[in-house]
Amino acid sequence: MIKLENISKTYRTRSVETLALDKINLEVKRGEFVSVMGPSGCGKSTLLNIIGLLDEPDLGQLQLEGNLITGYEDKKTAGMRNHLVGFIFQSFHLIKELDVYDNVELPLLYRKMPAAERKKRVIASLEQVGLSNRMNHYPSQMSGGQCQRAAIARAITGEPGIILADEPTGNLDSKVGQEVMNILTDLNKAGTTIVMVTHDESLAKETHRIIRLFDGRLVG
Amino acid sequence: MLKNYFKIFLKVATQNKLFTFLSLFGISLTIMFVMIFSMTLNKIIKGSGPEKDLKLMLFADHAKTESKGKNRSVNTNFLSQALCENYLKKVTSSTITSMYRTDQWPFILNGKHYEKPYMMTDSEFWNVFDFHFLQGRPYTTEDIVNQNHCVVITQNIRNLFFGDEKDVLGKTIRVLQLQLTVTGVVEDPSSASQNISDGIFIPYTAMPWPYGLDPILGPYTVVFKADSKDRFPAICKEVQDIITRLDRADNQWKITLTGPRTQFEKMMTGYDMNEDTASPIGKFMKYILWGLAFIFLPAINLMALNFARIRERGEEIAVRKSFGANSGNLRGQFIYENLMLTLAGGIIGIILSFVMITLLGSSLSVPVSDFNNVQVSFSFDLKIFGIALLSCLIFGLLSGVLPAIRMSKMKPVIYLKGGEK
Repeated sequence: MIKLENISKTYRTRSVETLALDKINLEVKRGEFVSVMGPSGCGKSTLLNIIGLLDEPDLGQLQLEGNLITGYEDKKTAGMRNHLVGFIFQSFHLIKELDVYDNVELPLLYRKMPAAERKKRVIASLEQVGLSNRMNHYPSQMSGGQCQRAAIARAITGEPGIILADEPTGNLDSKVGQEVMNILTDLNKAGTTIVMVTHDESLAKETHRIIRLFDGRLVG
Repeated sequence: MLKNYFKIFLKVATQNKLFTFLSLFGISLTIMFVMIFSMTLNKIIKGSGPEKDLKLMLFADHAKTESKGKNRSVNTNFLSQALCENYLKKVTSSTITSMYRTDQWPFILNGKHYEKPYMMTDSEFWNVFDFHFLQGRPYTTEDIVNQNHCVVITQNIRNLFFGDEKDVLGKTIRVLQLQLTVTGVVEDPSSASQNISDGIFIPYTAMPWPYGLDPILGPYTVVFKADSKDRFPAICKEVQDIITRLDRADNQWKITLTGPRTQFEKMMTGYDMNEDTASPIGKFMKYILWGLAFIFLPAINLMALNFARIRERGEEIAVRKSFGANSGNLRGQFIYENLMLTLAGGIIGIILSFVMITLLGSSLSVPVSDFNNVQVSFSFDLKIFGIALLSCLIFGLLSGVLPAIRMSKMKPVIYLKGGEK
């Protein structure tokens, strides 16, 4: 499903070069729920960004669903992101000017999909995360847990094969965080591959596998 | 998709009210000025009142004589009576040809000083221009031949001389040394008239030109009216042939004529006898370039505001990219939002132009060439609507494209870093 071969990424400023990822070799099978752990600055988010085609590695190869990613041409990678990947962020990153319905509908707008089909999928996603009654609410009118559930609905509405979650419970209390984790677990049971960055060891233990990063390298 | 963009546009516009106000203010003012100028230009070119057939008229109004000898001498002026009567009025390509001259008539009435224009014309003048007679009739060819002292006056002149009295036919007014009998009263011409004065009209033979009888140069303008614009080339050729023959026949003077030209060409070139710079298209382009500069500068200002605004929307852009928006989608979104803003500003600008013209009325005039100021009035037709729409489009694109390109190239990872909200 996801295959990284010798992936390296260096961030350069005028005076400093930072090796974010150093020859990462990693494979995530279809249907796996993998957590990525490590200290701050070890390259976890960079790893997620590269898998999610938001960033381009300096060296190495990436394969998603059997597709070898080359060239990183804008339109092509945007299309692949739209169809293959769903993102969940620690800060939710809901568009505050749009209500929940419009936020969840966002990925579908970048596909050629009839409005009726979009509506069906959005409603289904919101039902799945238990937010059907909040469709017309704005992010500012909801709690953190509700916002994250809306973000999950947005991530799954396009039925991507891969969910990339960057500390999805980081801004939530433990009870709400567990609720979110339960939703992710249910998604995984339904067949979605999930790669989750987390600092929470207890949540990581609920996943199939823990990948540990240190200074841009896989350890353990 | 457009519905989504429109929702975002409304939300963004209402959230940052200062930005929206500044943007709308700049756009609406620009469009207001473009509208006022366009309406005025449209009115002039279209013609109204007696000049309603302006598009079917050509004007010859200036000649130049240059000595062919060693001592260079150049004279320019309007056209002589002889040139008009003996040559230009005999042009067969036009349907009807008229000659006229205009001057100023100072007088004292009831202790007050006035200066009003008067036009000295032939009888064909009344067939070329479409005057509406409130009373009486125009003077005829017989009046011209007999050098009759008669006059046609406008409503304003009637009110000035005769007050509330409506029936003034047969009454006399003193113009310079002449006692003239009123034979007709016409509606006041439009303030946008370029060729018709709001004053009095006298047979040109009633008061001979007192400044000599040069064969080419004098005080007259000739207007050729055709059934259709298709006749224009033939008219121009026939007139130029006449001038060429006269030039060849004259050993002493090289003769050049300005025209025949349309009202638009006349307006744009004025009386520039320099062949290199007299191009009406060149001068028109000068005004178009000024107009574009007028749109361009506020557009640059709005562009700067848009650049600042984009930085605030980095998170939204990053999220859209994460979920599949490509650079083209983002550019399209931003340009769409900007076009909505400029359309809104354009509508306000059109309303403002109406308000300005209504409020300021006769005190508002627009310089449409180096020497012409025209009073503005509100007229909104399909052409003006098209100009308004085009101006908004140009404005929206000029101020939106570069920021849109910048927006589409933003790296999403910078705005998607994890951390506390």
